[in-house]
Amino acid sequence: MWKRTARGRELHFYLAGINNQNFLMRDRETGSWWQQVTGRAIAGALAGSALELMPNDELTFGLWKSEASQGQGRFLVLTPVPGHDDKDYDKKWEEEVAKYPVPLTFPGRGLKDRDVILGVAMGGQARAFPLEKVRGTNPVEDKIAGVPVVLVTGADGESVRVFRSQWNGQDIELYRDTQNDGQRDGQSDGRSSGQSTEWRLVDSMGNTWNFAGCATSGPAVGQCLEKINFLKDYWFDWKNYNPQTTVYSH
Amino acid sequence: MNKSENRWLWLLLGLLAVFSLSLFLIPAFVIRPFRHQSERALGLAIAVKGIAPALTVAALVGVVALGARLWRTSSRWLRTGMVTALVLSAAAAVMVRQNYFEWMFNPITAAGFVSAGDAHLDDKEMVMAVRIGQEARAYPIVQMAYHHILNDTVADVPIVVTY
Repeated sequence: MWKRTARGRELHFYLAGINNQNFLMRDRETGSWWQQVTGRAIAGALAGSALELMPNDELTFGLWKSEASQGQGRFLVLTPVPGHDDKDYDKKWEEEVAKYPVPLTFPGRGLKDRDVILGVAMGGQARAFPLEKVRGTNPVEDKIAGVPVVLVTGADGESVRVFRSQWNGQDIELYRDTQNDGQRDGQSDGRSSGQSTEWRLVDSMGNTWNFAGCATSGPAVGQCLEKINFLKDYWFDWKNYNPQTTVYSH
Repeated sequence: MNKSENRWLWLLLGLLAVFSLSLFLIPAFVIRPFRHQSERALGLAIAVKGIAPALTVAALVGVVALGARLWRTSSRWLRTGMVTALVLSAAAAVMVRQNYFEWMFNPITAAGFVSAGDAHLDDKEMVMAVRIGQEARAYPIVQMAYHHILNDTVADVPIVVTY
């Protein structure tokens, strides 16, 4: 997801092609060609320009809704485009796509071409976290370019967020508050932190943190961890655009 | 007009038709799904796509002009070839103006939204979520995986949602 402005100009994008199974888009204003995964213009008048990343989450609708219901503001959901039905909005498209060959292959890292990874790039380094591993270990703690990060999976077992695990200039270690396991209710906002059924993380300083990365009790109450952008991607695509990437393995 | 001059004109007509067709086929061949695109091949395809609209029209004009000149002295067999060349050149001129990627994945021209409570969406469905100030949006992945691109504006910030 990108901000669609470049060199001070608002742009409108459309699908225009494919490059190693990652799509190319063009803007109506200049006809320049852009690579979807990098947000960079590869040809045309704006070649060399880069779009600014728009921070976003990939969540289950249930989790998003429950966060929305506790927040202020306008919460809107994109509706199906008239004329398109479930045949177009094929929920099995991932399985379908998996039948086709991949345009590039990077064997030897213990990952298959179409394994889904969460890619984090920061401080000139890139690391791929196999999604399976992230879901199996909650939370996953790591350091990228010296920055401590934590990958957490929400109460729905699907939604993932990544945070910088630092508070007040200090590295913090986060743990799942396992006392509440087995009583998940999909709540993830911290307003009802008194309830014992809530998904939450704790640290050694006595804080509890919700899935939005905000402290719901303890000395940090009301403050939030810095969210880190990541890309959910196929291994071959991530490796293609981040040739120096390392793979998380613990 | 003698026979040898005609032969050259025929050759030119044929080459123009082939040239026109290749302006469509080269990028179509390079930019095809599930195949590897090298940087050079992609660069060539994009360059060809840039000049193809003008050149296919020029080639079509050439084919028509040559055809008109050669028509009277041509046999039925040759005329069939001439018409074929004309049809192919015209088809190429049309096709280089089409974005067939949008035929496959119809673009969203007017996005519709409902409030979170009114959405007919299963809780398990994944959404791409964005929040700017008091404005929040959820884009269901089943839809984005089909349309791929949505130009939207959230809290006055123009964004492009891609999947």
